[in-house]
Amino acid sequence: MTKQVSKKTLRKSFNNWFFWNGCSQQAESMLGMAFGQAMAPVVEELYETKEDRAKALQRHITLFNTESQVGSVVNGICIGMEEQLANGTGTAEMISETKVALIGPTSAIGDSLWVATIIPLLLTICIAVATSLTSAPWVGAVVYMIVYPVGTYFLSWYLFRLGYKAGLEGISRFMASGKLDKLMSTATILGLIVVGGLTANFVTCTLNIDIKAMQEVFNGTEYVEQLVSVFNLDTLLNNVFPKIVPLALTLVVYRLYTKKRWSPIAIMGLILVLAAVLTAIGYIPNVGAFA
Amino acid sequence: MMVLQAVLVALFIYLGAIGSIVGNTIGWYCLGRPLIASFVTGLIMGDVSTAMAVGVPLQIAYLANVTPGGAVAWDLSYATYVGTFTAIALKNTVTSTEALIGLAFAGAGIGGVIGGTMWNVHYALDVVLNRWAGKIASEGDTKKMWMPNVIGGQAIGFLCRFVPAIIVLLGISAAGEATGGFEIPAWLTTGLTAFGNMMAALGMGIILSFLIKRKVHWAIFMGGFVLATYFGLSSMAIAVVAIVVAVIVYSVIVKKHSDEEVA
Repeated sequence: MTKQVSKKTLRKSFNNWFFWNGCSQQAESMLGMAFGQAMAPVVEELYETKEDRAKALQRHITLFNTESQVGSVVNGICIGMEEQLANGTGTAEMISETKVALIGPTSAIGDSLWVATIIPLLLTICIAVATSLTSAPWVGAVVYMIVYPVGTYFLSWYLFRLGYKAGLEGISRFMASGKLDKLMSTATILGLIVVGGLTANFVTCTLNIDIKAMQEVFNGTEYVEQLVSVFNLDTLLNNVFPKIVPLALTLVVYRLYTKKRWSPIAIMGLILVLAAVLTAIGYIPNVGAFA
Repeated sequence: MMVLQAVLVALFIYLGAIGSIVGNTIGWYCLGRPLIASFVTGLIMGDVSTAMAVGVPLQIAYLANVTPGGAVAWDLSYATYVGTFTAIALKNTVTSTEALIGLAFAGAGIGGVIGGTMWNVHYALDVVLNRWAGKIASEGDTKKMWMPNVIGGQAIGFLCRFVPAIIVLLGISAAGEATGGFEIPAWLTTGLTAFGNMMAALGMGIILSFLIKRKVHWAIFMGGFVLATYFGLSSMAIAVVAIVVAVIVYSVIVKKHSDEEVA
């Protein structure tokens, strides 16, 4: 009789992974212990003897890493291969090799598609909701709290089952079909437009140069000597192109991060210094905007 | 009262961290995001409106905060819970919302650095658990395989997260009580406001580095920008326009692809 992993065990293995994949992350085996925990119910069902179970568990607590939400596909593939092995086809080495080989691609897709595109996109939409509902901005937070975890649970479970059913070849075929690329480029366009809008609506930066001079001003009854603004740099620049300074600041951050490889913390430090300098300029008598 | 609130916020700092008991999807990627973290802090502190006023700018500034390869230089969960807590606890020292946002960023800076350090400690201590896991695996004990990961990982994680968090939060709330009636000087308020306003550029600049892949993408980004500046559209309106454009583009590229297959 051929051995098969029951639906209940699949669900249990998935839940073990979904909820506890990050519990014991460390530099030695990364997510290895969590992967072992996820495989434990499967190993128990497929193997009878203590020796077989020990061998199976030992090959699943070794080094493994991925973006765990999208990476659940690897768990599915491994369960499928483990099932075949229990029925006498395939080798243990193949399982270990496949697992290690999938670390790179699943991390890359998970990080770039899910973590760096879908999450910011959903958050931007929720920010938009929060800022338009001025009387109840918390609705934006609640929407995210429902949509993100529920949506991710189903996606992750779908990928897990896909990996189990389609196996390594099925997944490779899907990746080669180009469907993912089209979805990615569409999501990128959506993201770019929204981020453009957010940049204009939320980044604020003023140069605070407002040169004043004594001029004769008619106050209704007589001419008096008074300090009057003769040159406001921010007003001038905004007449040329609205919000050009915030745009420039954003582009500087982009450049420092991509081209000069500055860390976000270093950029934060630079913003702090810039804020201090611009505020100080604002307080220079007759030149600053606040003086 | 403040102590109980600090305990609850510290608990959520732990829950919103990588590898907490609720999993990364509900924890780090949901409870740990500034928009959600500030809402939760607001509920605990009984001041959701202040919390959301600082939560939105925090979320924009840290929109691009992801964790490639498990390297957490900047702990978002710690940063935003501490930041929002700071803004609410020290609310009476400033008069404008903008200055409050600046205050939240200052708190987030302190929280983020402590959190990042504690993550590294957590990451290093977890290595010990591998021996325990190895022993259970060699015995083939499938029933105990969860213990090193869940019990061991959680015990270390909870200690590294909760304990420093409660100390920091109690320090901030003590500062809040000590500064009753004190007002931050105007020049500092102005500086904090400028800092808070400029921080949004951090999130936008880094998120652009993920999105920009070709030169034409700059034009699309500028399209969104001028929808706000020249047409005065709100962020929600721009999101709707973006969805419409994306759907059209998708149908065009899918059609182009199928035409090529026919030809």
